[in-house]
Amino acid sequence: MSDTLATSLPRSAAVRRRAAILGVLAVAALALVIFGPMFLDRFSVNVLTRSMIYAILAITVDLLWGFTGILTFGQAAFFGIGAYATAMLLTHIGSSPTLIGVALVLAILVPVVLGVIVGWLSFYYGSTPIYATVISLVFPIVVTQLIYSGGTLTGSSSGMVGYFGLPFGLEGFFRLSGISLVIVAVGALIFVRSDSGRILTAIRDNETRCAYLGLNTQRIKILLTAVLAGVAGLAGFLYANASGVVAPENTSFVFGTELVVWTALGGRGTVLGPVLGTIGIDYLSANLSGELPFLWQLIIGALFVVMIIFLPNGLAALVSRLTRRGRGEVVAEAGPVLVPEAPLHHMTAVDGPLLSIDKLEKSYGSQKVLEDITLDVAPGELVSLVGPNGAGKTTMMRCLTDGKESSGGVIRIAGQNIAGMVPNQIVALGVGRKFQVASVFESLTVSECLRMARAALEAPSFVSASDKLRLPSAAIEILQLTGLDKLLSTEVSLLSHGQKQSLELAMVVALEPRMILLDEPTAGLTKAERTTIGTILKKLTNELGFAAILVEHDLDFVRDISSRIVVLHQGRLVLDGSVDEVVNSDIVKTIYSGGEHV
Amino acid sequence: MFDAVETDTKLTLDGVTSGYGPVAIIKDLSLSIRKGEIFALMGKNGMGKTTLLKTILGLVPSREGEIRLDGRSITGAAPKVLIKSGVGYAPQEQPLFTDLSIRDNLRLAVRSDRELDAALEHVFTHFPFLRDRLAQKAGTLSGGEQKMLILSRALMLKPDLILIDEISEGLQPTVIAQIAKALQAERAESGTTILLVEQNLNFALEVADRWAVLKLGEIDDSGIAGPDSRERVLEHLKI
Amino acid sequence: MTLLLDIVTTAAILFIVSAGLLAIFGVLEIVNFAHGAWLTVGAYCAVVTGGLGLNPWLALPLAFVTGAVLGGVTERLIVRPLYARPLDAILATWGLGIVIGQLITLWFGRDVQFTENLLSGTFHMFGTSYSIYRIFALAAAVAIGLGFAFLLEGTRLGLSARAIIMNEALARALGLDTTRVRLVTFMIGTGLTALAGVLLTPLTSVDPTMGVSWLIGSFMLVMVAGSSFGALAVACLVFGGAQVLVSTFISPILGGITVAVLCALVLRISSKGFARV
Repeated sequence: MSDTLATSLPRSAAVRRRAAILGVLAVAALALVIFGPMFLDRFSVNVLTRSMIYAILAITVDLLWGFTGILTFGQAAFFGIGAYATAMLLTHIGSSPTLIGVALVLAILVPVVLGVIVGWLSFYYGSTPIYATVISLVFPIVVTQLIYSGGTLTGSSSGMVGYFGLPFGLEGFFRLSGISLVIVAVGALIFVRSDSGRILTAIRDNETRCAYLGLNTQRIKILLTAVLAGVAGLAGFLYANASGVVAPENTSFVFGTELVVWTALGGRGTVLGPVLGTIGIDYLSANLSGELPFLWQLIIGALFVVMIIFLPNGLAALVSRLTRRGRGEVVAEAGPVLVPEAPLHHMTAVDGPLLSIDKLEKSYGSQKVLEDITLDVAPGELVSLVGPNGAGKTTMMRCLTDGKESSGGVIRIAGQNIAGMVPNQIVALGVGRKFQVASVFESLTVSECLRMARAALEAPSFVSASDKLRLPSAAIEILQLTGLDKLLSTEVSLLSHGQKQSLELAMVVALEPRMILLDEPTAGLTKAERTTIGTILKKLTNELGFAAILVEHDLDFVRDISSRIVVLHQGRLVLDGSVDEVVNSDIVKTIYSGGEHV
Repeated sequence: MFDAVETDTKLTLDGVTSGYGPVAIIKDLSLSIRKGEIFALMGKNGMGKTTLLKTILGLVPSREGEIRLDGRSITGAAPKVLIKSGVGYAPQEQPLFTDLSIRDNLRLAVRSDRELDAALEHVFTHFPFLRDRLAQKAGTLSGGEQKMLILSRALMLKPDLILIDEISEGLQPTVIAQIAKALQAERAESGTTILLVEQNLNFALEVADRWAVLKLGEIDDSGIAGPDSRERVLEHLKI
Repeated sequence: MTLLLDIVTTAAILFIVSAGLLAIFGVLEIVNFAHGAWLTVGAYCAVVTGGLGLNPWLALPLAFVTGAVLGGVTERLIVRPLYARPLDAILATWGLGIVIGQLITLWFGRDVQFTENLLSGTFHMFGTSYSIYRIFALAAAVAIGLGFAFLLEGTRLGLSARAIIMNEALARALGLDTTRVRLVTFMIGTGLTALAGVLLTPLTSVDPTMGVSWLIGSFMLVMVAGSSFGALAVACLVFGGAQVLVSTFISPILGGITVAVLCALVLRISSKGFARV
């Protein structure tokens, strides 16, 4: 089972070295925050305490926006809610160690619950990125207005002050905030490098592909929103204790935008960049705003605009670009070891056809694109779908993988009606879809892409990046045939077009589907690459019993590998037969020489 | 076969490679089209016919090679430059503003409203039915009428070269005959050069002087339109 | 009666404030988050006009020209590189808003400024008296609406803009100069927004951050309206009406968030909002 196929440089050594660096950094940071107050004046201790709490918030913004691509202005609101929960409890009920404990729990729990609600509002099948941003704007405005209208309960516009929180001095709060920041930062760094953490980047790169790998991206984003709302609430708890005052401004979307500005300037998608950006800018602001109050804001604003246009990945990207150039080249690291895996048999066997389409219909308004399509596909068949432009081939593929697409008729996969199902549910029935333009994750490595394809089958780790990659032998074979097994730790953006097509096919096979849908898999490939893909497809269907449906224009390719050809013309199925039957048919000749009625 | 003298050529493609992102759809393609001829470029779906037209028009960047119009290089020129130099284009995908009136669709083809009336009179000579229906929304026309509108729009400025993308697709033979007549009349009148991209070989071979078959972004076969062409082209086109 | 007038005039003011944002979003598909700053710029044009002792009505053309010129520079330098990155465009324009706000602060100070009223007094009708200025705002909203209707339906620029909204690829293939249409649209949008800033001066206090409070409301209305001025008018009436009702009968503070919350809910139910109206 675990005989290794490719042994390369010890990957675990590299992982260990990275963990050691992180450990040293964390210890150094802890030392800084513990001994820092001895060397700093009161003003700096005060300001930096606040800056470090804000830095925790910047990390949450970075995880949402930098890593997952969700631009949010709402983290301020969760922060404010955590702070207000603390201040309101301590003001109105009283202060005792138990109540402070309750305040801590509430400061985290309330934002988490609201995070679930906000997440549910923001992320649903078909929601757009801009809509999530809209909600993240509305949410803090609602919270702020509620606080204004809360009367004595919330202190209205003057905020709340004069409650008794944790009995720490100035320096105590500095250390508490610093330690919290180090813990959150280390946790975030470990998480984003873990196999689970890479899912965030995968969603940012290509959410559609994630859904077609069977991942419920909406649920992942809601969960992330809720957890990070909790972290923001924790920061709010710290803030309410350390500053002894909370104000409506703490919840406002303007503060939310400031967090985004700091994150952007520090460098989105790097965790450390936003931390340093926030601390640096907030500390400088406090020092400079006395002398050059408006000029300072002006400089920050102008810098921000320039940065977004010319250096969207912030200062951290500039630094890493310079250091990388200094080192000459990136040290190539060995990828994980490929481990062939017996099929997980996660699906029950089916009686009857794998795919059964009955009177499928699709129309846009009054225009019918597909009409009365009836078709069965059994395991082991390789069915090619051909027909002139506008015949409805791609539309049909879409109907097979998205239960909300068709406008009439019934599609059953493995006996189950897919009406109303979203792509990730259909993938769970055993359908893999390969898109026309290679749909992969550009900023992930080859092995990370493949791991994404397994994420729905075996839950990835939250803390570590595994040094083994379990794949079905068919997927490993594709990698070996195309040489991708030597490129496991290469970033996908560096691959050739043909390699990306092969990688996507390997990812689809790694899903262990029963049926594969392929939309022009050979478009733009060289002759040799076509032959390889053809060999793989034949093997998958003939030997391994996959069913495959192929949309393809290259006739030689179709003739060579199909077991059956289905001809679509003007949205109707006009012919369904063996390769010989179809190629020699008069109907096909008529269609292709421009005849109208069949 | 294609080594016509440059002064007789309207359009020359010289080793052109183009495509989307990293994908080359058109590969090292050379082709020259003479002044006043109707040239049919055939081939199955996905072979690069539409991409070729878009490359000529500057909608898809060409990575290698040179494109010349009347001997002058137009490689990399924007569509608006080409349209201004007398090129008409009848696209295939989403070819009309269906929510705009027929008049507005045609109006978008002229540079200023002063040219509009004369241009409209010109296309009415080919398709008189448009005259009474200018206020109607383009989306309410039948399939055949829409195709005639697309062609009319390309003819508005009496271009010297027209690029036409699968105008016959999905049409009744009678409508195809009307379109063929309009194309031949336009050439007879103004000596227009026409590059037709087609899958309907009956139509293409009826109107064209020469033909070529495109396969995987390269010219697979070519010839002069004649009695023997049909069987030869069909071999390439049928599935 | 007063309630009805309140609803209609509130809707009118919302329409005036949002129209420029809609013009830009409709054609460029870019959310101009510096929208609030342009309102502020317009309002300060009124302050400058007053300071120079000129007729307060001159502030309107001054604001339009200032807004349009600054908008042209912005489109060229900031927005054009970001057409492919709409979320970054939101951020960059927000950053620009900060810059403009601070520049105004450096120049004029952060105190509230006073401007001469364009129109004062009340208006008697059906036994109630009502602010003449709010009635004037209604007329201005109608004028702006009709102006846009003419621009879109009656001019070549409007035809080009509509063509770009409907199908940009085709517009480009037909040789339309999409770059120029975008630039001009952006300038009209920002010019109009600055003009709206002048019209706001009698209704709100003028200070460097005055625009921000209007930004979210107009942003939400535009998201609901898509690219249609008709839909924007309907959205302003419906949500502006709701705002007046909530403010009158429940709480003015909750009234302030009515528009944003209702718009968000409408978008959650139908991602196209009112765009089909």
